[in-house]
Amino acid sequence: MSEYILELKGITKIFPGVKALDKVHFQLKKGEVHALMGENGAGKSTFIKIITGVHQAEEGEMFFNGEKTHFKTPRDARKMGIAAIYQHVTCYPDLTVTENIFLGHEEVSPKIKRILWKKMHKKAGTLLKEIGADFTEKTLMGSLSVAQQQIVEIAKALSMDAKLIIMDEPTAALTKRECEELYNIIDDLKEKDVSIIFISHKFEDMYRVASRVTVFRDSQYIGNWNVDEISSDDLIVSMVGRQIDQYFPKKKSKIGEEVLSVKGLSKTGLFKDVSFNLKRGEIIGITGLVGAGRTEVCQTLFGIMKKDEGTVSIDGKEVRIRCPKDSMNQGIGYLPEDRQKEGLVMEWDIGRNITLSNMDTYSTNGWINESVERSISGEFSNKVHIKAQTIYDLVSSLSGGNQQKVIVAKLLALNPNIIIMDEPTKGVDVGAKSAIYQIMEELVEKGCSIIMISSEMLEVLGMSDRIYVMRDGRISGMLNRNEATQENILELAMLNKSADVQEL
Amino acid sequence: MEKPKVLTHKEFSSVRYFLQWEWILLIIFILVNIMNASFSDNYLKFDGLMRASMIFLDKGFIVFPMALVIIMGDIDISVSSTVALSSVVMATVYNAGVPMGLAILICLGVGALCGLINGILVVKFKELAAVIITLSTMTLYRGIAYIILKNQSAGGFPKWFSELSWGFAWKIPYILIVFVFFAAIFTLVLHKTNFGRYVFAIGNNDIATRFSGINVDHIKIIVFTLVGVMASICAIFLSAKMMSTRPNVASGYELDVIAMVVLGGISTAGGKGKMIGVITAVFLLGFLQYGLGLINVQSQIIIIITGLLLILAVAIPNIQEMIKNFNKKREVNL
Amino acid sequence: MDKVKEKVSISEMFSKFRELGMVLFIIALIIFIQFRNSNFLTLENIDDLITNAAILSILAIGMMMVIITRGIDLSIGATLALSGMSTALMVSANQNMHPVLALLMGTVVGMIAGGIIGLLIAKLNILPIIATLGMMNVYRGFTFIIGDGGWVSAYQMPDSFVGIATSSFLKVNTLVWIAIILYIIAYYFLNHTRLGRQVYAVGSNPGSARISGVNNDFIIFMVYSIMGALAGLCGVLWVSKFASAQGDTATGYELSVIAACVLGGVSMAGGVGKVSGIIIGVLLLGILQNALPLINVSVFWQLAIQGAIILFAVLSNVLIKRNSDKKNLARRVL
Repeated sequence: MSEYILELKGITKIFPGVKALDKVHFQLKKGEVHALMGENGAGKSTFIKIITGVHQAEEGEMFFNGEKTHFKTPRDARKMGIAAIYQHVTCYPDLTVTENIFLGHEEVSPKIKRILWKKMHKKAGTLLKEIGADFTEKTLMGSLSVAQQQIVEIAKALSMDAKLIIMDEPTAALTKRECEELYNIIDDLKEKDVSIIFISHKFEDMYRVASRVTVFRDSQYIGNWNVDEISSDDLIVSMVGRQIDQYFPKKKSKIGEEVLSVKGLSKTGLFKDVSFNLKRGEIIGITGLVGAGRTEVCQTLFGIMKKDEGTVSIDGKEVRIRCPKDSMNQGIGYLPEDRQKEGLVMEWDIGRNITLSNMDTYSTNGWINESVERSISGEFSNKVHIKAQTIYDLVSSLSGGNQQKVIVAKLLALNPNIIIMDEPTKGVDVGAKSAIYQIMEELVEKGCSIIMISSEMLEVLGMSDRIYVMRDGRISGMLNRNEATQENILELAMLNKSADVQEL
Repeated sequence: MEKPKVLTHKEFSSVRYFLQWEWILLIIFILVNIMNASFSDNYLKFDGLMRASMIFLDKGFIVFPMALVIIMGDIDISVSSTVALSSVVMATVYNAGVPMGLAILICLGVGALCGLINGILVVKFKELAAVIITLSTMTLYRGIAYIILKNQSAGGFPKWFSELSWGFAWKIPYILIVFVFFAAIFTLVLHKTNFGRYVFAIGNNDIATRFSGINVDHIKIIVFTLVGVMASICAIFLSAKMMSTRPNVASGYELDVIAMVVLGGISTAGGKGKMIGVITAVFLLGFLQYGLGLINVQSQIIIIITGLLLILAVAIPNIQEMIKNFNKKREVNL
Repeated sequence: MDKVKEKVSISEMFSKFRELGMVLFIIALIIFIQFRNSNFLTLENIDDLITNAAILSILAIGMMMVIITRGIDLSIGATLALSGMSTALMVSANQNMHPVLALLMGTVVGMIAGGIIGLLIAKLNILPIIATLGMMNVYRGFTFIIGDGGWVSAYQMPDSFVGIATSSFLKVNTLVWIAIILYIIAYYFLNHTRLGRQVYAVGSNPGSARISGVNNDFIIFMVYSIMGALAGLCGVLWVSKFASAQGDTATGYELSVIAACVLGGVSMAGGVGKVSGIIIGVLLLGILQNALPLINVSVFWQLAIQGAIILFAVLSNVLIKRNSDKKNLARRVL
């Protein structure tokens, strides 16, 4: 028998127009926790889906326990003892924890196939106790927090006697203490000889739980190391592929007077007492963990959500923002995080998408002036260098990077002074990324101001003049460009000193 | 590095142009007329065609706003009840001594109110599908009509009123003129104005539309109110046609209206369609039903055919999609 | 640990509280009606009430399963009429047909009707509202055609057939027994079999259900077939109870059934619904239908009252849910 429980060789996966994976390798030993790292869009998620049988690879071989295997459906993979816990927990919110654990492999009586609820509840209860859950098996799944739901997913994997558990960014939405609990669970699993593939962006996750690390970049395999053999700087270089300073075009820009000031902004259950300001020609980064309330703050600023308390002033004057139109009239533009859901009309062509938020300008008394519309959308698509034949190409046929450029063009067409960009380079290829950074730089040179929400540490460090860090709905600190480092940002984003006291 | 430019014009493809659903509809429409002409010698004469159109055009008014509703990805099945309620109120206030002109205005007001209520409920209770909301208001509006008139009919309208549905101007029925008027307005609004553009945007992606600074809620309320108003216009012509009304009037209209819209090429998934297709479908279905009536086909069979047409019109694009996907899959596997 | 327990109980309280609230409301309603008319709580009237509610309660089982999978079925009134008419014609032609055979025949007719709808929805991806609206008219049309526009009345039916609905066992009407048996089966099926739980899984999260290896298409097909079968069974019971089969039997009855489900806490968003809940919903509707005439409310008010109740029930469900979500959010410490 091979020493590896799982081995993949030369895996290639092609989606229409994109090579998502290009001849990647991967080896996993029994009882090992193996970190898989890489930037967003490096191909990690696709790779996982090939292991679990959701996608099929075009090329390459997979060996499980030394035997060549090929999973056609997720079911095949599960039968072999492979379980996956995805980034977004996939559960049945209306059913109990027990059912979420056992759905698909219920305990049934041998003859009449009656579901044995008592046995299942008992088994679920034991599983939950084993991994130290703080809720009972009869709780409704929908009433649990994300961290608790993740624990249910782990219990589910264990209930199927999984030999290999894949965790896709399990700590992304967890607080520090919840992370600590998860680490302990992983340690226990390791002792039970369960192998784990652990995907995460956080270096401390990797150093804490993993013994080996594999890095992907731009759909390719870069290398694998023992965790204690590689420094975090070397890892960053291998993930990004170049030195940080060369990657970002950041110049010393002229920073002017204050244009936006937010004071004491609060919304029940989402964020509290958020204050910050923004100056002309400045890029501020807002970072923190997923779920810290960054997006919510910016959407409130843009008028998507209603604030409960606080004031927003633009150019020194307090403004009332009740809907997106109000904020757009104040010169605020917003680039949403989820471009397919919030940014684009996917079944429309490029031109219509660019003009959608600014129709009034291209029309007289409500009647569309198509020739003006056409020339404007053409102008802006060329300004951001969209790769397409005509403005009539459907947005859904473009690559992620070009879709993002369409949204940027749509934003530019509004001619805003204050631009909020929520994860502007999420899931975008390297070329488009640097193009977007270039555009941001041009904008601030022209005197615009940018608020950039980002989870990518390098981007935050590379692009921002000042960095606000959020944690659990509050701003936990502000750092100037010259004093910011990965370490002190992470410290502000995760350390839960104050929150521990508050919870009492 | 010189980057390739994005062009602002596209090449005209005659194949794509003539493969549109609207042309197929036109061909079917012509076939239906040929069929009808073979049933009756008088059919293809100008007067015959005009007379035929008078029979079914009342429903046609609701089809325009319903097309907007379905493009937005919603549905309104309360229309037949709105027709009943507004016509019943009109007849009741007229019989109570209100002048006919004012009674007609009240009828329009009741329709607008019914639509407005639907619109506000749909917007304020986003958790609920429009189906379930309009299903309840459908029961409610019809119920109110029953409370007002019990199970009786009311009428006695002035003579001139019946001219609305039966009168002609230069050999063209008034109802057809009004229909063409609304057809032109709705076509222009849907395809040539910002409002129409927003309706399509909402049907494709209402969240992105909201993020683009468009007041989605207002547009939805306006469209649902339009449904109510047009339903009351249908109520006026229907009452004029029969010169009386009852609480159970117009039942089943929602099927015909939705069938016409869907047959006209409006996708039930929202976001797609052309008004010209819907207008063609009104005449297609109307003439088909009229023609089947000519050869004494039972009205029940006509209902069956309408129901099947509705399902076919929805199923055909879905089947096309499935075949496309299947072929794609095969290519990948090869 | 205490804090955790509290969290559990609040979210679960919500569903229990709702049912308890409904029961209290029903009790208050009963007391109110009894004060207005002392004939309400007589054995005779209670027997009448339960017998009348039996058919509604049977249909509610099927409708609940359909709604749990995020669907809706508007065709059941028509399916019921079709099965009733075909069975009535059958027994009037074969006077010595065994009543059980008649029941079986009606059920099969309904099951086929429902199965066709299930296929349209599962395989051709047609929206439930469109598919059932279309087929509703098809089935209604067929009913008129096979009945030749007329009706089958009591004297044409054998006594054994009419006896299905008039006979009783232990002084309780057979209809009620049939309903009780079906409720026990439904309870067992939905809570204690894999297939039953998969119905909930498909409604709660279709995407994960597919990943967990559930055959979503089959589940959808199954629930509409069961709905059809129950509607078919009820068709026979209906004809036997009212001793007549007509083309327009049970027109609009689907609304009462949907109302019973919604009142019983079945969520239109799918995934939620309990057998005990729909019993309460049916009971409430049954009492209203029985008591309104007793307290001198005109029959013409019934439809509007029913519409208002459905509207109230769906809207208040949403408001309660929103409130509890808001409280959950507010509990988050920032």
